[in-house]
Amino acid sequence: MAAQPEPDAGQEAAFAVATPAAARRERILLVVAAVALVLLVVVPLTSTDQAQSAGLPLLVDRYWFRVATIVAMFVVISAAWNLIGGLAGYPAFGNVVYFGIGAYAVALLVTRYHWSFAAALAGSVVAPAAFAGLIGVPLLRLRGHYFAVASLGVAVAVGEVINNLDYFGGASGIFMPIVRSDLLFYYLMLGAALLAVAITWVVLRTRFGYGLIAIREDESAAAVMGVNTTVYKIAAYALSAALTGLAGGIYAQWNVFVNQDVAFNIDVSIDSILMALIGGIGTIWGPVLGAVVLEFLIQTFSGRGDLAVVTQIGLGLLLTVAVIFLPRGVVDFLGGRSSLTLAYVRRTLRSSGV
Amino acid sequence: MSEPGEVLLSLREVTRRFGGVAALDGVSFDVGRNEILGVIGPNGAGKTTLLNCVSGVHRLDGGDILLDGRSLRGLPPHRVARLGVGRTFQIVKPFGSMTVRENAAVGALFGSSEARLPTRRAFAHADEVLALVGLAPKRMLPVASLTVPDRKRLEVARALCTKPRLLLLDEVMAGLNAVEVDEALEMVRAVHASGVTIVLIEHVMRVILGVCQRVVVLHLGRHLAEGRPADVLRDSRVVEAYLGEKYASRYAGG
Repeated sequence: MAAQPEPDAGQEAAFAVATPAAARRERILLVVAAVALVLLVVVPLTSTDQAQSAGLPLLVDRYWFRVATIVAMFVVISAAWNLIGGLAGYPAFGNVVYFGIGAYAVALLVTRYHWSFAAALAGSVVAPAAFAGLIGVPLLRLRGHYFAVASLGVAVAVGEVINNLDYFGGASGIFMPIVRSDLLFYYLMLGAALLAVAITWVVLRTRFGYGLIAIREDESAAAVMGVNTTVYKIAAYALSAALTGLAGGIYAQWNVFVNQDVAFNIDVSIDSILMALIGGIGTIWGPVLGAVVLEFLIQTFSGRGDLAVVTQIGLGLLLTVAVIFLPRGVVDFLGGRSSLTLAYVRRTLRSSGV
Repeated sequence: MSEPGEVLLSLREVTRRFGGVAALDGVSFDVGRNEILGVIGPNGAGKTTLLNCVSGVHRLDGGDILLDGRSLRGLPPHRVARLGVGRTFQIVKPFGSMTVRENAAVGALFGSSEARLPTRRAFAHADEVLALVGLAPKRMLPVASLTVPDRKRLEVARALCTKPRLLLLDEVMAGLNAVEVDEALEMVRAVHASGVTIVLIEHVMRVILGVCQRVVVLHLGRHLAEGRPADVLRDSRVVEAYLGEKYASRYAGG
């Protein structure tokens, strides 16, 4: 927050926004996001009994709430992954473990210890962050592929342990008391998504963010310039875990039931990484854009027979094309140039080492 | 220069092994406060290993390194940086996705305990240092667009932004042409004049003769010679280390 661009020139913009044109684009994007946010907050209110009895049109139904809540959930998970994978450059493949720990924290605290759902949500933030802080010490000594595989291993192992201990409900999982409110879970997920974006925004403007990007670009150079790389990496990992856990905690109560398949589904990790990748890793809006577009497509076409199969194939092709030709993501592409020129593709391919 | 109170950096029997090879074998010397000390030696002499040991990148296998009397032994690189040791890398390591200015600002955001500025002041300090090294006009460019000499300047600028007491320069003049070397020498003198002690590794003898007050010669991980640059370069052991015995005798004879 300390480094807001000076009004006199884009010259003072402290980080990635290097040119006045890019600063202008950033401003336009902010206005669009603000308008979208107001609509997202106000429009669902038409579903309340008061609004309906006042004769307002019903703009959202149960299906809309389901899709919107899931989309918001993936914005949280993808933006959270972006903190460790995009900013610090540590490709965590098993972040779903924190979704699972958050989900189980809420399920256990509510059913076993009779905490209120609101209090249990705090547990879904603290427990994953604490676990990430501990496991991060050995895990973050690894780099690149080794770190990716090890983080995936942790996710699988934790899922198996929980599945085999009676304390966690074992294979039959945990059922929770039902809380029936589409509006509540939608607003909670939307709030978590806003929190994730806001945290990314703040991080990118502070010493913490510069330290993380320096680590991503060259860890040994960052260290000799005074960045405490160990502490920074663990802090980013724990922050990422806390946000992912929050999404898991909200999801657990929304879904009423948790077991290994629900809470430790590796697809959640993979989808969220793809969303960040397509949108643009390391950026504020990349994971948001990727999550909204991809999850919306997935939700729209799922469960529609042949069309769903064709859509799956189409998504696969889209991902392949996007990763090859836009390796720095859609946000970078839109922010940098106006057209998909050969020079752009060549430059990005070279810089991504393909 | 060698009075006890005047010593800033003191290396005592510094040893570092890689497997069975002793890259540094009991090297000892002192660096006086506000001195410019050159470290020379043939390829494989252990010069870069020496800088890595001082900056905390390598752990010591033996001996000790004292900065202002405080042992650096076992400290991780960021702690050494915090105590006021800045360094450059022979193979430059810019933060590729950042602009020139952001690269320098990282040094001011972190660095020594005199640095660690809040964001806005860090960028202001980065601008001052970039002006000193002659990169002010290019400060908003991405580092990818910089030439080799400019990347070396940026490497120095980043280290300077950490507000070091001691600056370790690893072959910052290599690959520069004559005019660029002159500019770089001016830069080193300016940095030195601002009160920074400098240890520099160089192969370019003009640099050694031009700015160094004293030179330490390393050969196969050992301290071979030490003294004023002109004297050391005439030392037959030094010539022999560089050229081999046969050529050394011819050089001495002719």
